[in-house]
Formats: sequence, C-alpha cells, structure tokens
Amino acid sequence: MIKNVAVLIAVIGLVAIFLPIISGFQERDELNELAAQYVEGSINELRVPNVVTSVIVTYRGLDTLGEVTVLFLATVGVGLILKGKKEDRIKISASELLETTSSVLVAMIMVLGIYIFTHGHLTPGGGFQGGVVIASGFLLLLLSNVSLKMNHSIMHFVESLSGVAYVAIGVAGIVLTVGFLNPEVLPLGKFGNLLSAGAVPVIYSLIGIKVGSELTSILVTMGGEK
Amino acid sequence: MISLYTLILGIALLLIGIYAMLTRKNLMKIVIGFSIADTGTHIIIVSLGYLRGKTAPVIDAAVSVSNAVREVVDPVPSALVLTAIVIGLAVTAVMLSFIVEMYKKNKSLSIDDYQELKW
Amino acid sequence: MVSPIYILILSLSVGFLLSIFDRAGRKFSLTAFYSVLTFNVALMGDWLYRLAVLHVPTFVINTAGFNAPVSINLELGVAEALVLFLANLTGLMAAVYLFDKFREGKVSSLILYLLLVMGVNGLVMTQDIFNMFVFLEILSISTFALTTLKKNLKTLSAGFKYMIAGGVASTFFLLGVVFVYYFAGTLNLGFMTADQFSGIGLIALFLLSVSLFIELKPFPANGWALDVYQSVDSGIVSVIAVVNSAAIGFAFYKIMPLLPSSFLTAFGMAGIVTFFFSNMMGLKQENAKRLLGYSSIGQMGLLLASLVFTIGIEPAVRYLIIGGLFLNHLLSKAGLFWIAGIVKEEKIRNWGVLRNNKPLLVLFGLFIFALSGLPPFAGFWAKWEFVKVLVDSKMFFVLGTVLVGSLFELIFLFRWFTMAVKENADELEPMASPGFSRIFPVSFFGILAAVVSFGAMRCFYGSNWLQVLPVIAVLFITLIDSLPSKVKGFISLAAVAGYGYYLYPLLTGNIQLFFGVIFIAGSAVNLISTLNRKNQSKGFYGFLLMMIFSFGNLLIASTYLEFFLSWEFMTLSSFLLILRGQNAQRASLMYMIFSTAGAYLIMVGFSFAPALSSTAALILSIQDVNLPLISFIVLAIGFMIKSGSVGVHIWLPEAHAEAESDVSPFISAILLKAGVFGLLLLGIAYVSNAPSFDVFYWVGWIGVITAIAGAFMASFQEDAKKLLAYSSMSQVGYIVAALAMITHLGWVSALYLAFNHMMFKSALFIAVAGIYYRTRTRKMYEMGGLISRMPWTYMTVLMSIIAVSGVPPLSGFGAKWLIYTAFITKGWYLQAGVLFFASGVSFLYLYRLIHTIFLGQLKYEHQEIKEAPAWFIIPQYIFLAGIMAISMFPNLIIKPLNAIAMHYFDSSIQIDGLTVMSELGYWNGNLVMYVTMAVFAIPFIMLLLLKGKTQKVKQFNIVYAAERPESPQTTHVAHNMYAHLRKSLGSLSLPRVQEFWNSVAEWSHTLGAFFRRVYTGNGQTYLLHIILYIVVMYAVMGGQ
Repeated sequence: MIKNVAVLIAVIGLVAIFLPIISGFQERDELNELAAQYVEGSINELRVPNVVTSVIVTYRGLDTLGEVTVLFLATVGVGLILKGKKEDRIKISASELLETTSSVLVAMIMVLGIYIFTHGHLTPGGGFQGGVVIASGFLLLLLSNVSLKMNHSIMHFVESLSGVAYVAIGVAGIVLTVGFLNPEVLPLGKFGNLLSAGAVPVIYSLIGIKVGSELTSILVTMGGEK
Repeated sequence: MISLYTLILGIALLLIGIYAMLTRKNLMKIVIGFSIADTGTHIIIVSLGYLRGKTAPVIDAAVSVSNAVREVVDPVPSALVLTAIVIGLAVTAVMLSFIVEMYKKNKSLSIDDYQELKW
Repeated sequence: MVSPIYILILSLSVGFLLSIFDRAGRKFSLTAFYSVLTFNVALMGDWLYRLAVLHVPTFVINTAGFNAPVSINLELGVAEALVLFLANLTGLMAAVYLFDKFREGKVSSLILYLLLVMGVNGLVMTQDIFNMFVFLEILSISTFALTTLKKNLKTLSAGFKYMIAGGVASTFFLLGVVFVYYFAGTLNLGFMTADQFSGIGLIALFLLSVSLFIELKPFPANGWALDVYQSVDSGIVSVIAVVNSAAIGFAFYKIMPLLPSSFLTAFGMAGIVTFFFSNMMGLKQENAKRLLGYSSIGQMGLLLASLVFTIGIEPAVRYLIIGGLFLNHLLSKAGLFWIAGIVKEEKIRNWGVLRNNKPLLVLFGLFIFALSGLPPFAGFWAKWEFVKVLVDSKMFFVLGTVLVGSLFELIFLFRWFTMAVKENADELEPMASPGFSRIFPVSFFGILAAVVSFGAMRCFYGSNWLQVLPVIAVLFITLIDSLPSKVKGFISLAAVAGYGYYLYPLLTGNIQLFFGVIFIAGSAVNLISTLNRKNQSKGFYGFLLMMIFSFGNLLIASTYLEFFLSWEFMTLSSFLLILRGQNAQRASLMYMIFSTAGAYLIMVGFSFAPALSSTAALILSIQDVNLPLISFIVLAIGFMIKSGSVGVHIWLPEAHAEAESDVSPFISAILLKAGVFGLLLLGIAYVSNAPSFDVFYWVGWIGVITAIAGAFMASFQEDAKKLLAYSSMSQVGYIVAALAMITHLGWVSALYLAFNHMMFKSALFIAVAGIYYRTRTRKMYEMGGLISRMPWTYMTVLMSIIAVSGVPPLSGFGAKWLIYTAFITKGWYLQAGVLFFASGVSFLYLYRLIHTIFLGQLKYEHQEIKEAPAWFIIPQYIFLAGIMAISMFPNLIIKPLNAIAMHYFDSSIQIDGLTVMSELGYWNGNLVMYVTMAVFAIPFIMLLLLKGKTQKVKQFNIVYAAERPESPQTTHVAHNMYAHLRKSLGSLSLPRVQEFWNSVAEWSHTLGAFFRRVYTGNGQTYLLHIILYIVVMYAVMGGQ
C-alpha cells in the first residue's frame, strides 16, 4: 500500500518535472548555428550528401568510436556473464515455412545490409543500420537451423580486425592530416559518388561489418552455443 | 506542431516504462519497461531536432545543395539518437544475460526473490 | 610529448585485439594488457609533471581536424591530469591485485577491464556532454559485466540492481544532454554559459546534474551500491569505489559551473546528508566490505560537499581540500578493499586473523588512520582547512554534521581496528599468506599514502623536520625493531635526552620550560621503568617516542595547526600505546572516541580564532590574540576531555587501568598534563582578552566537581590501577579548578600541583607496576602484607601518598596550602569547601591503597615474592628525591612558578629565603619538615616500645555477621572496603555519567539500525528511491 502510494508520488513527480518542458516547448524554425555549420560543412568540405552520416562519422567520430566500443563491450560482457556449463536444452526444429523462407531471404538480407552500409554517406542508413540488418539475417539462419554452429573464432577475428582497422584509420588521420578520425586520409572524390567523401564509406563499412558480427555474436552466445 | 505530439508521446513512453519498472515483479518485464523508457527517450531526442516543415538532412532530389541549410531538420539529434539506440541495445543485452544467469541460479524471475543482500 | 589521445587509441586497439592475442597464449594477452595500463600511468604521470611543475598550458585535442564546438574536443589540464594519473594508477594496481583472476579467467575480463579504464580517461578528458554520456556507458557496461568476475547469486543480483539503477540514471542523463542541446545549441561545455539556461532550461541542467549525482550514490538512493560493494570481488569493488567514482565525480565537477547556486547548495547539502547517514548506519554494520561501502559512500558525499562549499575560496586552499579528501579516500579505500579481499573473513569480529600477518596488520592500521583523518595523512590537512572554510563562511550546521559524521566513521573504523588487534581469533582458520600480486598493491598504496602526506605537509605548510619527528621516530624504531627490547629502550632514552637537549634552547618562555620539565624530563625518568621489558615489545618504543616528541612539540608549536598536529600525533600514539594492554580493546576505543571528539572541538575552536601575527610559540603569542567566546567554550571542553574532567571522564579509568603497567604512568602523570597545558593556553588568552561570559568560572566548578567525584570513585575501587586512575582524575580536577581562578596564586598553585602530581603519580604507578610484575594481580584484596617482601616499594607508596594527601611535611602540604589560600583570596569559598571535603575523601582511598597492599597479613602465595626489579625502583626513587627536594626547599619551584605567573598577574606572594608569604599567612617548607619530624618521632618511639605486646591474628578469621561470603577473599577487610560509605554516598560517584554515555552510544546505533532499513535489498525499491530522490531534489531546487 505504502509502496503503491510512493510509486504514485514518484510518477506524478516525474510528470511535474516534464510538464513545464511540454508546456514551454516551441517547435523551432531554423537550424542553430552549429547545425547549420554541419550542413554546410558536410556538403562543401566533406562532400557527404547525408549530413547525419558526416556528423556521426566525422564531426562526432569519437562518439561513434565509443558507440562501437559499447557494442563490443556488450558482446564481450555477455560472453563473460553467460560463460559456464552448457545446459541441456530441448531443441525444437524450425517449421518448414521458416526454413524455406530463410533460405530464400538470408542472402537478400545480407545484400541489403551491405548496400545500406556502403551507401551510408549517400542515402539514409549507415554502418549501424546495415550491421543490424546483417545480424537479422544471421538471426533468421539461427532460428531456421537450430543446430547450426557458428564459428566463434571467425566472428571474433572479424570483430577485432574491423575495430582495429577503424582505429587505424583514425590514427592515420593524425599522421596524414590534421587530427584523429579526419576522413581526408583518402581523396574526397566527387560529391554524390559511391567512392567519395574520403574515408567515410570505408569507416562506415567497417562499422557495418563490426556491428553485424558483434550482434550475431551476442545472438549466438545467448542462444547457448559455445 | 507534430514535434510537440511526438515529444508528448516520448515522455509518455518514458513514464510508462518507468512505471513498469517500478511495479512489475517479473525481471523480464522490468527490462521491457527499461526498453520502453529508452525508446521514449529516443523519441524525445528526435522530437527536439525537428524543425517546422523541414525534411531529412540528406542531399537528394528533395533538397538542393545550395539551399540545404534552409530545408533540412537538425542533423545532430538524429546522429545522437543513433548512438543512444545502440547503447540502449547494449545495456539491454547485458541486462538480459544477467537475468538468464540469475534464473539459472535461483529458478525465479521475481525480483522479490533477489534480496538476500540488505542493510 | 605524447598526446593523451593515445591512451584511448592504444586501449581500443589492444582491447579489440586481445582475444586474438589470447589465442597465442595468455602470456601475450596479459603482457599487452599490463603494458597498456602501465603506459597510461606513465603518460599521465608525464603530463602531470609537465602541467603542474613545468606549467605548460592546458592541452587541447581536437578530433576529426575541426575545432570545438564543431567536433568533440578533449582537454587535459592539471586537475584532469591529477585525477587521471591517480585513477590510472589505481586501475593498474587493482589489475595487479587481480592478476590471479586475470591469469586464470576468461580473456573477456581483460578486455572489459582495459576498456573500463579507457572509459575513465575519456570521461574525465572530454568536453562534450554527449561524449561524456558515451564514455559513461563504456564505463558502466564494462563495470556491470565485471561484477560477475566472481559469479554467484549475490553478485548477480547485486549487479542487476546496479544495472537498473545505472540504466535509469543514464537515461535521465541522456535526456539532460539533449535538452541542454535544445536550449544551448551546443554540446560542448566550453561553449555553454550559465545564462543560456533559464526557466525550463534549468530543467535540462537539473536532469543532467541530478543523474550524475545519482551515480555518485547519495543517501538514500544508493542501496544498489552497497550491495555491489558487499558482494563483488574486492579488486573490482576497489575500482568501482575509487576509479569510477573519481571519474563520475569529475564529470560532475565539470558541469558545476553551469549550475545555479540553488542547485549547488542542494547538492552540497545532499552530500553532507549522505556523509552523515552513511557513517551513522555504518555503526551497526558487521560485514567488513559493506562497512567499507558505507564509508566509501560517505566519503564521496563529503567530497561532493567540499566541491560545493569551497566555491569561491582561494584556489590553492580549495585544491588542497578537495585533493586531500580525494587522495585520502582513493588510497585508503582501495587499500582497505584489497585487504578485505585478502582477509576473506566477512565479519569484522573475525578480523583477528589479520594478526597472523603483521605487515598487513600495519598497513590496515595505516589505512584506517588515514581514513579517519589523522595526521600525517592527507585527510588531516584537508579536514583542518575544510573546517576553517566552513567556520569562515558561517555554515555551522554543515560543520556540525561533518564533525559528528566523522566521529561516527572514526568509531566504526577504530572498533574494527581494535578488533583486528585484540579480538580472539584462536578458533578461526588462520589466514593463508597472500601472494605477491596481492600484497604488492596494498603495500604500494600504503607507502604512497605516507609519502604523499609528507609531500603535502612540506608543500603547503613547509613544516620543519621537528614537526614530523614523531613519525620519523616510529619509522626509525620500526627499522631497528628486531633488536632486543633493552637495547631499544636505551636508544629511546638517548633519543629523549637528545631531543630534550635540542629542544632546550627553543623553550624561551619560562612556561615552556616548566612544561618541558614535566613532559620531557618526566618521560625520561618514566622511560627507565620500561627497561624491565623482557619480550621484544615490537612497536612499543616507536609509539612511546612518538608520544614524547609530540608532547615536546606542543610546547614550541607556533601556529594553531602545528599545535593541533602535535595534539593529534599525541592522541594517536597514546591510543596505540593503550591498545597494547592485554584487555585494552574497549578502553582504547573509548579513549580514541573521546579524544577525537575533543580534538574536533579544539579544531573548531582554533578555526574561530583570529590569525596569529607573531611567529613565537603559541603558548607565548596567544596572549595577543582576541579569542571569541565560542573559541573559549569549545576549546575549554576539548581540553577538559583530555584532562578527564567529570562528565567526559569515562575513558580515563579504563584507559589508565588497561594500559600496560609501565605505560600507565605516562598516561596518567604526563598525558593528562597536556590537557592542563591546553587549559593554561586558554587561560593566558583569557587574561588579556576576557570574553563577556565568564567561562572559567564554570570550568572552575567542573574542576571542583571532578576533584570530589574522582576521590569518591577512587575510594570504591578494588583495582589498584583504577584507584590511582580516579585519583589522577581527582587531582587534575584540583589543578583545573586552581587554573580556572585566573589569579596569580591560583596559577602558582595549579602549576605546583601539576608538577607535584607528575612526580608522585609516576612513582605510584611505577610502584604498582612493580607489584603487578611480581604478584600478577591488580586486585588489592588479593594482596596484603607486602611490606615485608617489598619494602622499597612500600617506602615509595608511603611517601607518595603523604605527598598526595597534603599532610605535612611533604610537598602536597604546600600545594594544599597554596590552593586554599588562592581560593580564599579569590573569594570562591564554596568551591574551597567542596575541595576541602574532597581532600578528606582522598584519605579514604590513600589509606586503602597502602593498607590493603602493604599492611595486614601476607598471602600464602606471596610468601616467596621478591622486591620489584631495579628498573622499577630507580625511577621511583628519582621521583621521590624530587618530592623530597621540593618539600624541603619549596622555593626551588615556587620561585620559577612565581615568575611564570607574574608574567600575567601582579604577584600576590613574597618569597623570603625559605618562606613563602601570602596575605593570609606564610609557609616555610623547611620548618614544616622539622616540626613534623619531631611530631612523628614521638608516636614512632612509642610504637617501638610497645612492639612486644602486639597480637597476631590468622588471615581469614574475620566473620561478618549474617553475611555469607562467596569466597574466603571476600571476607578480607580490603574487599569492598568502604561498603558502608558506598551505600550512603555511592550516588555521589556519578554512575549516571556512564549510563548517559552508554545510552548515547545505544541511541546512535539504534538510529543507524533504523535508517538502514531503507535498504530492503529489493532492486525495485532501490529504483523507487532513485525516482523519488530525483523528484524530491527537483522540489527542493525548484522551490528556491
């Protein structure tokens, strides 16, 4: 009883905190100075049509590196937490419907994922989105083929190398250009082309691969396979 | 005014999520509550980046290169929300794996069965 | 000059690659892992040196080739470098501590740990609040996962609670970040100003700051943290408690400039509340690691409060306070958590096992002392300055709460320490000896704590070596501790003599010289009795020298701080000496608690005092200081605690009685005089600048009551040492009462009595030490008739009690004559009457002492007993010679005392040859001696003549009517000797004081037990606390 009252007070209190924000909220009409700088810089300096991508990969590249790290940590952490004896569990084979569809869809999903991350600088999407799509392809595989064994070593290898390559490109930024994670280590190319925007598509591809393998690895670990 | 409505939606989801975390006894439901709250936060972030009548900050047929600054919404919250989503996912994954192990040890999913440490 | 960004780069690359390295063998992954951690420490050390010593400007790293705010930038200034150097160092040491786990466990833990440390570095350096969020999450997720390094139900459920709390807190932080962006249009701290936030913009700041604050575990929204501290592996806990907290605390520090003052005040108060309640709840805690958890949380609260309440003061002082508290917490908490992991006993009661490992016990003590804010450790300096800041800014509520909270903390820490030193551990499994990787970090931090303390001391106060001599003495004796006890004893004696020789020219005032004789010469003579020690007595002489040197340093202390420093050294060393007694666990703890409470009052009293203009010794320069009334009051109470005044005396009998028998003379005859010295200091200030309220009138009354209460209680003791202890209390009561008169004659008599008391009480305690050495008992009714076996000792006791009681011809008579004259001339007739009555009572216990020990019949078991060893007899007779000298020639001492007092008052006595004249009469010690001898001669001759007619009685042939004795001894006349008086007057002996303090203790424990019930153990309840905490903080801040 007391607890219910306390919960009620807590929730009402939170409403009281957020209410002024709602009532005082005004939709903005114009970009603030910083955002405008990003839009112009993305087009003119980095030649990246997708402004969000240039913010993610370049301007706030350190965040993204951190974000990749967080995901990596989750993979490693889940592995550490779930270590221990394998459990005997009952495996129910997948339905025919699932098996059939997945055999058709998986390849298409993978291609879509790759498309999304390689075109991250041109169109909506990017490394994370592409990686998640790829991981969903693997999820489908795992669901449809319950006895499937994924090779952990290969996944770790891919994870590690793509991560290191990302950092290496960042360091190349220090050595070759003006700062860590500067994309101009590669030629900027022509605005709107696939091979343009310096290292941006390379970084996004590495992220895509890394995210794909990490999420898959989490799924596999949670699936109880060693 | 669309962003006001999404803002309200986001805050409502946030509160619903927290309410769930405070009242549901099942560990899984608590984590689901967390996810709902997290999603609410993401919606709030995106709402704050919206500009009246503007479009996505991707230069394509809809946005001209020369006039881009006046035609797109704020790209920063969009970038932030992506990072936030990934981080939320990572936290959720770790939480879930804790639950798996807790269940293995104690065969219970009720949070009331995990209070041997106190005072 | 390597850019600090390489810490991130290297940690990430190696982190990503570790699992590949591991395939080649754990050796490779471990090498890479430790190399990176070492690299971090080295790099930050280098930067710290550049920034702090070479004063290079703050280093800014712009990422992606753009300047802030377009891209994220990192900054490394002095503060960042210091925090990161220490955090990385702790990280490295905790990793060394975890070496066995890392070698045997999965490679995952290495990766998580490495990236955790990276997260800390990023969080501290980044200037971008969203980036802060990312690093915070890196830190959190790796910590969450690492809590399962030792995986069991407890760690899992604690970890889950931690995640729920941490997850919600970071959600709120994220909301704060985006709202801040919405209002400020930037995420970079360098481009935000406080005026960008007003109205609902403040809510953004609120969310940002309150969520970080939650991560810093404020009471009561911190149950999850306690569970983590209790259950998770010690190595990881040390990282959570120290490294993570430091980084998150620093993040909070970075956003502080944006916050309005109402927020800051609320956070500061919340920090104080946390400090207070954590320590109060710690009182009731019996689990070692959870206790450390309470202490950790409390310390973080204090640190946060100090961040807030030092805003606007001189930066050097501010950094000293914050840095000192932080460093102290970091070193000692990490060290203690590691020791807790080595000891493995969960209950603090079982920590006696630590005695198997002496070095570890020493380190344990060192960390406990550091954490309690004792000198020379960093916390001492920080606390001193912080108290001063709080006094200057008139935050008395905060001040009181901090001090009471600190006292709580000290109580549970010292209780734990005394348990480790004393509690019986015979039935427990002995502790396995820890491996090098476990002992190394603990030792390293112990040494670092000491080194840093000295560094801070030199750096900020430029203290001369004399001030740290007490510590040097301990270190020196530790080095030669394997020598036989006697050799160390002679070395110590030589050291005291050398110290006295060195000190002599520095004692320019008569008053210093006088106390120098009491403190140094008195100690030197008392030291002779310790030469009788047969066992190795490890540590003993170190602490003894520390105490003696601290006494001396009190005399020449030229600032409040130096005085207080020596005072605390004295307290610590005497505590350690008392603790050596066989059953001294409770006694020493009580002594420490009361002394510390006194010390806090002294600290506060000095903080109120105006600055000193002179560089002379404090005792000389204090007369030019205009102390405020509050200083007088708290200082008087503080000093009276040390001198064992009634009401706060309950530590005294226990401490005197339970200390080793050759330590007791020091405690009673000399240590109590330090309290007198303090009161005299206060009196001198009073003479020149008396406050409106007559403080000393009441001090005088307390002295009088102490004198009579002590005398009564002494009469009812069975234990010879307790009897002497209460007698000391009573005698010091006289001294205090006389001092409090603030007249010439009052002071002469007080100092005379002090000197006299030093001699006869030393002699008596050493005599009892000799008796105990032979009979192994302190119970007087188990003795009797020892006059025939120990005539030399008998002579000492006889002479001494004559000197105490104030009958002619010995020096006590002069003391009494002076004191009553002083009272009457002052006009304190009632006080004089009470004291007169007290003198009567003191005959009771003096008679009891000599009668029951030496007269009557010799016990069978004492038939073959020998005289006390020469090492006991020699000092007794030195003191006796002193008593005789001043009895015969009182002017030897009256003259200098007259000179001392004349410095402050007009003289009220004339000295003519051997005669002292006051307005009420005269006293010629020499004459009195001859007259008394003649008077004594007559009965003595009569006794000799009657010798043949005495009748011998068998030992236990006394039959009490209608009382059945429990054992033959209880029929002895000496047992419960003054039963009839006790029945009629026992209520005067104030047992209620004891009851009062017992109930104070009980109440604090009960309150602690009550409040900790908020920690139900349920993760959901903890979350509710967090949400409610946010709501309440919002209400508090919004309301202002």
